[in-house]
Amino acid sequence: MAFIEIKGVSYVYPIREGVSLKAVKNLSLSIEAGEFVALTGMNGSGKSTLAKLLNGLFKPSEGEIMIDGVSTADEDHIFDIRRKVGMVFQNPDNQTVATLIEDDVAFGPENLGLPREEIVQRVNFALEAVGMSEYRTREAAKLSGGQKQRVAIAGVLAMRPDVLILDEATSMLDPAGREEVLDVVRQLNSQGITVINITHNMEEAALAKRVIVMRKGRLAIDGTPSQVFSSSLLQACGLTLPPAAALAKELKESGVDIGAVTTEESFAEGICKLLK
Amino acid sequence: MQAVEIKNLSFVYSKGTPNEKLALDNIDLSIEEGSFVALIGATGSGKSTLIQHLNGLIKPQDKKRSSVIVNGKSATDKKTLKTLRFEVGMVFQYPEYQLFADTVEKDIAFGPKNMKLASDEVSRRVKRAMETVGLDYAEFAERSPFDLSGGEKRRVAIAGVIAMEPKILVLDEPVAGLDPAGRAELLALIKTLQKQVSPTVILVSHNMDDVAALADRVVALKDGRIVADGTPKQVFADRALIKDIGLDLPTAARIADRLAERSIELDKDIITMAELKAALLSLFGKAEQQVDGNDESQASDGTREEPTGENSSLQSKANAENNIDGGDVKVVKYEGNTGGDADV
Repeated sequence: MAFIEIKGVSYVYPIREGVSLKAVKNLSLSIEAGEFVALTGMNGSGKSTLAKLLNGLFKPSEGEIMIDGVSTADEDHIFDIRRKVGMVFQNPDNQTVATLIEDDVAFGPENLGLPREEIVQRVNFALEAVGMSEYRTREAAKLSGGQKQRVAIAGVLAMRPDVLILDEATSMLDPAGREEVLDVVRQLNSQGITVINITHNMEEAALAKRVIVMRKGRLAIDGTPSQVFSSSLLQACGLTLPPAAALAKELKESGVDIGAVTTEESFAEGICKLLK
Repeated sequence: MQAVEIKNLSFVYSKGTPNEKLALDNIDLSIEEGSFVALIGATGSGKSTLIQHLNGLIKPQDKKRSSVIVNGKSATDKKTLKTLRFEVGMVFQYPEYQLFADTVEKDIAFGPKNMKLASDEVSRRVKRAMETVGLDYAEFAERSPFDLSGGEKRRVAIAGVIAMEPKILVLDEPVAGLDPAGRAELLALIKTLQKQVSPTVILVSHNMDDVAALADRVVALKDGRIVADGTPKQVFADRALIKDIGLDLPTAARIADRLAERSIELDKDIITMAELKAALLSLFGKAEQQVDGNDESQASDGTREEPTGENSSLQSKANAENNIDGGDVKVVKYEGNTGGDADV
């Protein structure tokens, strides 16, 4: 059994009496331990709902989600599941609990009842990983949005999760900050942590090993970046090609064919090969 | 006419505490009416602090030394502050979080009502704002803003700002969090807003592709100081500086650099995908089939078209485009950058 098993899952939001919204519809897929997945799709396609289903913040209205063999509906193991599946949300302002940054990052491990040295070590590691060490004694409220988001990621990293879900977590970071966070995420993934990166950034999606596209609550496309970006369904899913891939396509229409590329590096390689 | 004139502006957060931080360090900045200025800089470089001075949300700390004049009014003058807030439309990050009314129409009408406009004028402005942002009045006016999609909510929030018909529109990361289709639509909308509603636009963005496609002037901040100020081509030409301030180049420039590493030399000043496409096609001896620059997801349709003349407020944009060395723009080097990069 895969680390994450989603079996026939639907989720219905009650809006008001007699009105509800089915955000996830009969979804089935599995994600193996250690995968690096980009989850994408237009606003309202069900990505964030799925993320909240994965760590038991929401329980499926129908179907079942198993994390490491345990159902998210199993209340006896819910804290275990939430530790295993760490989430960083879109809005950093809703994610800080303490005044000082180091206290905020320590909040999770403290609640695990870890020894002090272990907590200190984890806080150091996590703040270092997001490049916020020098801010550790600052007040979280005084940081800019991007800095807060890095602290939020540190708070999750301090829990040493098995799965890290980033829900648009890089969308407010500056280019260097984004690169720093993606580097950290890649590093964590290479150490075995499963990463699910929910993103609207197609360049970022192209960096994952697997891209899952949702549309209107359903699974629309699931494959490698090159499979997904050559799919005829892409436009219907409200997505675009990464810039390099879009340009390659336009060049092809003008008679310069460098093949299917998804990254800037493969684009440059393609041009180079064609000139030889 | 200057829309914004800032002189000697400094700002310190948590003054007199161990957390003291100099957010703005002696900023001098003039923005001509009719220009589209992109404000770029790493997280914490002072962009948000700077724009909040434009409508008096933050007041200059040293009133004797610093001055912030917007549309000819001092941002510290209590008598004109209210007017100033109507003249400077601020669209903050994730503006949809600020929606509050139970219908779209009421939410958008909040600003114009505060301006004490007659009710038929309020209603005209709400309709116009909805039309401008592409929300059908009959379909959306009576709906709850909270039942809309993310992209629609953001349009409602922006409509609420432009219904005040501000002369200056300040947008802080307006497309963050939107899906690719929503981004492309909103970027196109911003260009329309400049033509139809707010002649002066100040865009804060981390997306250098958007900056390259939209702005006619780029002002870069680092540690509260202006470290570059010029056309997008001028600013992005200084590769070492862009790296030093923690930003990135537009995709097209990054690809051009990757090609240069492989001894494929294109024009040094390529910053948009349309320019890169043209350069590559000419490299392969192919003629460009269309010249309107179908630039990826960008709002490029019409972004480079000339103003129609009767709108004099757009004149400075035309100047900036026709005259790359334009007298009103300059590239500022700061001492931290020794300019060691031979490519610059």
